[in-house]
Amino acid sequence: MSVPKQSLPLPQPTPPVQAPLALAPAPAAPAAARELWAGLHLPGIEGSGSLEELARALLHFSPRVSLEPPDGLVLEVRGSLPLFAGLSGMRAALVAACTQLRLRPRLAIAPTPLAALIAARAGLEVAITEAAQLTGTLAPLSLSVLRWPPPLPERLRRIGVRTLGALLRLPRAGFARRFGVAELATLDRLVGRAPELRTAYVPHLRYRRRHELSCEVDSHAWLLNELGGLLAGLEHFLTGRQLGVMTLECRLHHRNCPPSRCVLNLASPSAQAAHLAALFAEQFARLALPGPVRALELRARALLPRVARARTLWQPGEHGGDGAGEAHLLIERLRARLGAEAIHGLTLRDAHRPEGSWTATEPPPPAPRTVPAPAGAPGVQRPLWLLPVPQPLPVQGGLPQRGGGLQLLGEPERIESGWWDQRPVARDYYAARDVHGVRLWVFRERHPPHGWFLHGFFG
Amino acid sequence: MDDPRIARLLEHPALWRGRSAARLPTLPSGFAALDAALPGGGWPRHGLIEILIPRFGSGELTLLLPTLAALSRGAQARWCVWVSPPYLPFAPALVAGGVVLGRVAVVGGEKPLWAFEQVLGSGACDAALAWARSPKARDVRRLQLAAERGRTLGVLFRPQRAARAASPAALRLVVSATGATLRVQLIKGRGARGAVELALP
Repeated sequence: MSVPKQSLPLPQPTPPVQAPLALAPAPAAPAAARELWAGLHLPGIEGSGSLEELARALLHFSPRVSLEPPDGLVLEVRGSLPLFAGLSGMRAALVAACTQLRLRPRLAIAPTPLAALIAARAGLEVAITEAAQLTGTLAPLSLSVLRWPPPLPERLRRIGVRTLGALLRLPRAGFARRFGVAELATLDRLVGRAPELRTAYVPHLRYRRRHELSCEVDSHAWLLNELGGLLAGLEHFLTGRQLGVMTLECRLHHRNCPPSRCVLNLASPSAQAAHLAALFAEQFARLALPGPVRALELRARALLPRVARARTLWQPGEHGGDGAGEAHLLIERLRARLGAEAIHGLTLRDAHRPEGSWTATEPPPPAPRTVPAPAGAPGVQRPLWLLPVPQPLPVQGGLPQRGGGLQLLGEPERIESGWWDQRPVARDYYAARDVHGVRLWVFRERHPPHGWFLHGFFG
Repeated sequence: MDDPRIARLLEHPALWRGRSAARLPTLPSGFAALDAALPGGGWPRHGLIEILIPRFGSGELTLLLPTLAALSRGAQARWCVWVSPPYLPFAPALVAGGVVLGRVAVVGGEKPLWAFEQVLGSGACDAALAWARSPKARDVRRLQLAAERGRTLGVLFRPQRAARAASPAALRLVVSATGATLRVQLIKGRGARGAVELALP
C-alpha cells in the first residue's frame, strides 16, 4: 500500500481500459494472419540431440523450423501446403516423419506459433486455419499450458481465472499493471495481435570440397599451388559466415592406394587462406607420398564462430603491446613442423620429491595476466636445471668426484618422501662445487650402499 | 674540451657525437656492476646476444634470471621461451627466482635453430633462450635479424671456443665461474670492453 504510484509498470502504449484482451482492435493487416504454424509437442523426448535431429528431418517440410526446448517444435507450413495435398496430407506427412524417428508427437495447426504449440501441449489435435476461430478453440484450455512460472497461475486462480478464455477476457491495462507487461505481450502473440519473431533452426554446417587435378602430380610445390585455390574457396565460405576452423583435414587421393591424410590442428579458429597454406606447406614437407596425387579434398567438420579481435596500435613488445595473436600463430607453426609435443608449458605440483614437483602443461595462454603471482619462498635453494635421471658419481675417500673432489657447500637438506608408493626417496641433498667452479646439486642416499648422485646444475 | 670554440661547434645540430648514437632501449640485468659495464646500462631490449661458456652450468643462467623474472612480471608480459634446453628447466627454482611460470614455454624437437628463428621472429616472446653447439655465422645472422623483427631478446648459449670466430650478434660475453664469483668478460658490444667480477647471490 505504501508503494508510490510512479513505480508501477505502465503498459506502453496505454490501450483502452475497457477493451478485453481478445477483442482489442487488431492491426489493419496482421502479417501473422497469413501464416500457418504446425506445433509439435513431444512428451518424453530426451536431450536436445533428438529434438535437433527431428528439426533436421522437418526442414524437409519448411525452411522455417524453430525449436522450443525441451519438448516442443514449431514450423511454418502455409507455403508448403500445396506440395503435400493440403492440411490433411501435411499432417499425415509430419506424423510419418516423426514416426520414422520413433517419436509420437501431438500435432496442432494454428495461425500463430504459440497457439499451435499450446494446443499441441494440451493434446488438442486441431487445425485452426482462421484467426477468428482461434480464441474460441483455445478458450477451454487450462492455464498450465502457458507454462508460466508458479506464482502467476496461482494468483490468477485466486481471482477466478482458470481457463484461457477467462484470461483473455481480462481488461488489458489492469492485466498489464497486475501481472506484467511481458505476460501481456505473450498473450498478444498468442492471439496474433503482435507478430512473433522466432529464431529459425540452422543445421550444423560442415565443409567438404574436392578438386580433381588435371594430371597426376607428385611435386609438393605444385600440390601447394593447387591447394591454394581450394583454400581460397574455404576462406570465402568461412568469412561470409563469420566462421573459422580449428581442425582441417586435407586428403590427397592416389590411384591405387588409400588417400594420404594431412590434419591441421589450430590453436584458435582461423579462416585465412595464406596462414593455412603456410601450415600445410610445413605438413607437406614431412609427408611421404606413396604415389602421384589425382585429387585434393578439404574437409572441415567443426566450424566455429570466429570473433574478430581488436588489434592494438602498437607492435608486440612496443610500449607494452602483448603478443596474444602471435602466440597462437607460433604454436601452430611449431606444431605443424615438429609435432604436437613440440611446445609445452611448465607448472608446479605439490610434491617433495624433486622429480614430481613440476609437470608439463599446455602452452600458457597468451592473454595478459591481471595480477602477478607472488614470488616463491626464498631460503630453499633449488637448481635451475634438473637431470631427468640422477647420475651416479664416483666416490673417493667418502667424497663424490667429478673430474676431481667436489667441495660441499653449506648444510644438507633432507628429502624423505614417497614411502606410500613404489618410489620412496630418502636423500640428503647438498650444494657442491666442482674443480671448475660449476655449482652442482648432489645427494647421498640415506640407505646402504649410500651412493652419491648428481641431480642438478645451479646453472 | 673546455675550449669555447669547440663547445660552440658541438651545439651545431648537424654535428652528432658517437657516444650518443647507440641509444638503444635496455633492460637492467639485476647486477649493478654488470649494468655499468654493459653498453646502454643493461641487456639490449631486442636483438641477439651470445653467452659463451667454458662448460655447462658456469652460472650463465643465474646471470640472466633477474632479467627473466622482471620480464615475466610485466603487466603486458609476453612469453619467455626455452628452445631445446639440454636438461629440464626446474620449475620450483624458476618460481623461487621470481619467474612467473605462466609466461614460460619450452620448445623441443629436432630443429633447434629453425625453431629458435621462428620463436624470435614471431613477436610472441619477450625473451628466448637457445643452446646451440656450432651454428654457422650465416645462421646467427638470421637469428639476429629475426630477433629485431620480433622485438625479442634472444640469448644464444655457445661453447667458449666459439669466441675466436666472428659473430654478427650485437653483444658477446664469456661467463666463467671462479670460486664463489662469476667472471663476465665482454668481447663484443657497442662501445663495451673489459671484464667484471660478480658475487653470486
